[in-house]
Amino acid sequence: MLTTKIKWIRLAMVFVIGLLAFSPLAPIQSAKALNPTTGIVCTFGPTFTLTAQSGYIQMPDMNSMYMWSYGSPNFQHPGPVLCVNQGDTATVTLQNSLPYSLSTSIIFPGQENVLADGAPSQPEFDLVGNLTSLTKSAGAGGSVTYRFVASRPGTFIYESGTDTKTQVPMGLFGALIVRPSLGASYVFNRADSQFTPTEEFMALLSEIDPYQHAAWEAGLNPGRNFNLNTYRARYWMINGRGFPDSIADNGAPWLPVQPYGALARIYPFDAINHPYPAVERFINVGSEEYPFHPHGQNGLVIGRDGYPLEGPGGQDLSFEKFDVNIGPGQTWDVLFKWHDAESYNPDTNPVPVTIPDLVNLTIGMFYSGSPYLGYTQTMPPGISTLNQCGEYYIISHNHALFQLDAFGQTMSGPITYLRIDPPQPNNCP
Amino acid sequence: MSKQTSRNVINRRDFLKLAGGTAFIVAGASVLPQFLRKTLLPEQVVGAAGNYDLFFAGTDGWFYMPPDPAIPPWHPDTYAPAPFTTYIFGFRNVTGLDDVQRANQKNKAQHNAPFFWADQEQELRVQLTNLGLAQRPDLTDSHTIHWHGFRNVIPFFDGEPTGSVSVPVNQLFTYVFRPHDPGTYMYHCHVEDVEHVTMGMTSLVFVRPVQNGATLYPSGKYAYNDGDGSTGYDRENALFLSEIWAEGHWNDAHIQESDWSRFKADFSMLNGRVYPDTVLPNSPINLAASTHALTIQTDGNGDLVPYPGYEHLQYSPHSSLITCNEGERVLLRFANLGFRESAMTLAGINMKVVGRDATLMRSRDGTDTSYLTDTLLIGAGESYDAIVEAPAFSGGSGSSGNGYDTYMLYNRRYTQDSNLTAGGGAGQRTEVRVYSAGTLPTQQYMNQHPGDMIG
Repeated sequence: MLTTKIKWIRLAMVFVIGLLAFSPLAPIQSAKALNPTTGIVCTFGPTFTLTAQSGYIQMPDMNSMYMWSYGSPNFQHPGPVLCVNQGDTATVTLQNSLPYSLSTSIIFPGQENVLADGAPSQPEFDLVGNLTSLTKSAGAGGSVTYRFVASRPGTFIYESGTDTKTQVPMGLFGALIVRPSLGASYVFNRADSQFTPTEEFMALLSEIDPYQHAAWEAGLNPGRNFNLNTYRARYWMINGRGFPDSIADNGAPWLPVQPYGALARIYPFDAINHPYPAVERFINVGSEEYPFHPHGQNGLVIGRDGYPLEGPGGQDLSFEKFDVNIGPGQTWDVLFKWHDAESYNPDTNPVPVTIPDLVNLTIGMFYSGSPYLGYTQTMPPGISTLNQCGEYYIISHNHALFQLDAFGQTMSGPITYLRIDPPQPNNCP
Repeated sequence: MSKQTSRNVINRRDFLKLAGGTAFIVAGASVLPQFLRKTLLPEQVVGAAGNYDLFFAGTDGWFYMPPDPAIPPWHPDTYAPAPFTTYIFGFRNVTGLDDVQRANQKNKAQHNAPFFWADQEQELRVQLTNLGLAQRPDLTDSHTIHWHGFRNVIPFFDGEPTGSVSVPVNQLFTYVFRPHDPGTYMYHCHVEDVEHVTMGMTSLVFVRPVQNGATLYPSGKYAYNDGDGSTGYDRENALFLSEIWAEGHWNDAHIQESDWSRFKADFSMLNGRVYPDTVLPNSPINLAASTHALTIQTDGNGDLVPYPGYEHLQYSPHSSLITCNEGERVLLRFANLGFRESAMTLAGINMKVVGRDATLMRSRDGTDTSYLTDTLLIGAGESYDAIVEAPAFSGGSGSSGNGYDTYMLYNRRYTQDSNLTAGGGAGQRTEVRVYSAGTLPTQQYMNQHPGDMIG
């Protein structure tokens, strides 16, 4: 079908441009670069200015979508990942540039003693007592400054507190990461929460009902009349993108306002050279539970909503999951690793089956042609691969499978991959 | 559903179109358009004595959901041969069938797919072939087996087709599993998985722990390597949750595209059936062949033998009835490959959750995180292991009057439980029947039903 072709053309484009980024012509990105090609891109604080504004993002079915979002200062989706250290006083000034003279605000679920323009944050009510905002709002063109001490490490959400059923699904949300005083390579102030700093990832999961967005886009403030009883999400996203855009690099040039990729690129576990796991910070800003399934590993859930899973005596209460079913408004911190359990090797430990000739199989476009990590094999005539150096690609995706969709374009939505590079030294670009 | 431009093989029909029935040689390929520039396939000899423990085949077929009330025009499907109602894709266990019998199973899929199991640290080989789709010869989808939750898998054996390979029509592939982690998992085809999963290429698989045989619990059977017998059990039942969206199934049979984002569950099933069919017996069991999979008896054509009188359940052969004697422990292995969370409630007995996602309920420092509940929320793609300790037999004076006490196990999300029936009581619902001590003999196989025919 035509749409499938478009998808694969786009997928190829994702990789070609990805290759360019790794090529000698491109600036060399060190693993600890400020803006790595994969992994979390922090906007460092503790003082931030966020501008609520409208803009357009690109959807995987080639539609464009009218959104509201937080920019710093320019429109981007989702809002910037705010990173602070435990104990910092975070200061977030909201500038309201939303259309239709709407008021807006930001709430910080999980943070205590938040001040709004210097006074304790409190809900707003109109003259007859109707709730109008969960916290102090900024009127059209106005601003408000929120301040709180980031007392607990972990992963948090920030989102609109005004007309939330409209403003949150329209895109006014983002992630807040608080680094523990133990150090930036820990999730919490627990030694068993240590991770590999170059393997820190985010899976921010969201959804879009295109009719709601179209109603606001149509002008003349018709969105006020959108009947939420007819709400039905038709797009599902990870880090503000749908597959295959989801696996493009951070800052991919054809997604100028969707800066965050979701590809998780790691090395296999090695007790000496690569002893610490990766971390995935799961965030759900949608309206229902998303059961996210990483293939090939059980994630170890060590924290939820900014609290480590521990007992009153510090007992470890973490648990393993192959299905991270995160609820709306929740954040889950999940350590994971992949180790080469069987150490299959073409010479010393081949897979114990006759490998069918490639022409007798349907070949996936990330497949190297070889079962073995770090090995490639020439493809049959007419078949191409996007594999670079015998690396493995293991999928992660929402297992409410009807949500792997972009408004009827199937096999899109919240899909990403775990890319496992062969141990170093390797031939990978 | 993928069209043939995405395949890397050329089928006979393409070949004839291309070459007008005359010989086609690879050397001429360079003049062809890119998507037709294929290599001729060396024939694989399907059915050659293989080095495998199980042999599965992917195909399509028809099965039964209650036709009343109808969901016009989608259900019952007018194309369905009586007594069936619904078009499906599925796997069949074709281990031991000869070449002709195996080929006969095209258009004979079952829902859910066969249950299979492995022993921890024992290699299991599952060979897969693809019989094609009888109702949709225009579709040449490949198939795979994805063992959902298998840790540290290499892509080659993961069955996710983009990162590795999948099995075209008439080809073979052998998956090798070396399970190191006991517990309850699930498996499914991962090609176009939104479609192939909900069409029925799904089931439950589990790994038995190396602790089995130890004397920590009298039966010597355990869910996990618990070290203390806390996961010991006397009987085990697999309860596999899945769903049917009638329109999506109708669309596949009638050559229509589905917008899967409009999915809704019209039927919610336990082991491929809705209540009260869930409490009927298994199809006749081939016990001798059930070494790695619960195997249904087959006839001379290789087709599934139905239970006499229940011919409508020929392609949904698995019972969900749970039976035990008072005081016994029953392990319930839940896995959900529907797209919605289920809330499985056991009225009258509490369930002790001892495992989740194939992991013993213990944290890294050994803290016990097991818990008791009467309602288990099971998300899409999740598995749970729960142990039920059967209460004392009351004398059978309850609702049954049949010599056992009855406890209902049902999805208390009523929208998924009722399947539109007037009285409720369909859908993901079954019964736990508790007999007096010593009434039921030792369980011979998972999900054994007292009325089963065993051969």
